[in-house]
Amino acid sequence: MTVVKPKRAKERRRLKPGEVVVMAVLSVLVLAVSFPVLYALLNSFRGYADITKDPMGLPTSLDFGNYVTLFKTTEYGEALLNTAIITAGTLAILLALVPMAAYGIERVGGRTGRWIYLLFIAGLMIPFQVRMIPLVTSMNEIGLYSTLTSVMLVHFGGSAAFGVLLYCSFIKGVPREIEEAANMDGAGRLRTFWSIVFPMLLPVTSAFVIIQALGLWNDFFIPLVFLDASSAGTINVALSRMSGLMASQWELIYTGAIVATVPSVLLFAAFQRYFIKGMSIGAVKG
Amino acid sequence: MTDQQVLVKALPAEPPPAARPAPGRRRARFDRQRTAMLLFIAPAAILYALMMIVPSLQSIQFSLTDWDGISDTFQYVGLRNYEDILTSGRFWNAVRNTLILGLGSAVVVNAIALGVAMMLDKLDHAQGFFRTIVYLPALVSGFIAATIWKYVLNYNFGAVNSTLKALGLDAQTRDWLGDHDIVLWVLLFIICFTLGGNTTLIYLANLQSVPQELVEAARIDGASRAQVFRYVTWPMLAGAVTVNMTLMMIAGWTIFDQIMVLTMGGPGFISETMAFFIYKVGFGEYRAGYGSAAAVVLFIVVMATTMIANRYMRSREIQA
Repeated sequence: MTVVKPKRAKERRRLKPGEVVVMAVLSVLVLAVSFPVLYALLNSFRGYADITKDPMGLPTSLDFGNYVTLFKTTEYGEALLNTAIITAGTLAILLALVPMAAYGIERVGGRTGRWIYLLFIAGLMIPFQVRMIPLVTSMNEIGLYSTLTSVMLVHFGGSAAFGVLLYCSFIKGVPREIEEAANMDGAGRLRTFWSIVFPMLLPVTSAFVIIQALGLWNDFFIPLVFLDASSAGTINVALSRMSGLMASQWELIYTGAIVATVPSVLLFAAFQRYFIKGMSIGAVKG
Repeated sequence: MTDQQVLVKALPAEPPPAARPAPGRRRARFDRQRTAMLLFIAPAAILYALMMIVPSLQSIQFSLTDWDGISDTFQYVGLRNYEDILTSGRFWNAVRNTLILGLGSAVVVNAIALGVAMMLDKLDHAQGFFRTIVYLPALVSGFIAATIWKYVLNYNFGAVNSTLKALGLDAQTRDWLGDHDIVLWVLLFIICFTLGGNTTLIYLANLQSVPQELVEAARIDGASRAQVFRYVTWPMLAGAVTVNMTLMMIAGWTIFDQIMVLTMGGPGFISETMAFFIYKVGFGEYRAGYGSAAAVVLFIVVMATTMIANRYMRSREIQA
């Protein structure tokens, strides 16, 4: 008797009327919820006068003038670069330290491992606001305030907690025999980890990277607090400053919003498969 | 630890001298392995402690002072900051807003996400495609969406009011973000204007792990669709509900981006959340000690509600 059965037999079924209705409803919902971003996209091709005179009007031509103006007259290009550096840099620090730590926690095990694990997991319940004021003070004292490094380090604190949770639950299922065999063969522990264990963690790594990449790219609060006017800021910080100072340049705000969103969509399009798999890791109980 | 205990038990009470080296060597290797693993943990643990644990504890220290955030000196004032906070109408208003926005959005978004996931689960064709397009709106960050809404809801030139005017509904136009009677509900609407994204994916993954035999058996026994949902699917989803509600609530207690972009806490202080209150007081009003005390209160609220909610929701889960 088979206990585990695929949920749906893969025989070719005809499209049922119910399915068509569901598809139609979902499409309408997606369009409705996409309204703000679609609206911004359309208006990124229009001038300020058009937008304010006829807010629901459509663009008359595919004019990329706003995109050119945005990069020429504001620091948005630099902000885009800063955001990319922060995202990539934070991911690099996370990947260099977190998988190794999670592996150590699982292999130490016992009461010690459990306590270290709990210490990391506690970070999930500590809102950023709780550590914000002391961190600004300390960054100021060591001269890192308003540098991209400070933003990356602060991000590490929050993301490491999630990383340890994700990696530990995955490493539990990795057999010890392989690494013990490698150890017997005389490979050092560090080499064993990076050449044998780390590649086995690829599924969880890809999920972790894409979830974090989106979160880091979209974050607003941490760069807002740690980057002052001496820096061009991140895309979100730059947009926030623009909407404060250039209250009359709506077309550039809409354009900036689209520019900020494009990389997220590309990232998702490229790694969609890993992403959806990743969301299911640990999400399904039992 | 347990290895050592086993080792000790296995040894005879008076081991012959020749037998000693073997367990000694094993023990040495065990200790070396343990030290190596602790060294693996150390870099991440130290950086994590410096960025998370230490500043959190410092917040508790600051919360007992009258520090303004810039001076070199400060004085300890005991629990005065906490007294001030708990007797401040502005703070309780922020707590109320946080509850409405945090809890409200957690419930609404979970309901939307579950509905969308159930629709996706019904699809036998093109499920992957629809799963992708349903996720797409979630790629627009809360900050970006709020920024666009700010202009769409502008009183004079925004799309919403001008559409209402074009439809002859001039009476329905509002200063959506400046009217203190409705601003909170407008914020709640904007935060809930989503198809759920990650929340939906988690529900979908769980729906697909509900054994089909169970559903079919219930149907054969004459249960209606609603009954199948109430008595089979819903209990099986309890674990996912716990996960999603907990995640959404933790996010909800710290709602900040939308407030900062759309209202700056205004008009007056009417739409402040706890996260915004802490930011505003700590940096905008140079009351770091007072802000730290509010941060400590926020931490207590987050921890307490997470634990209570988890205990309550876990208690109604089926132990699979």
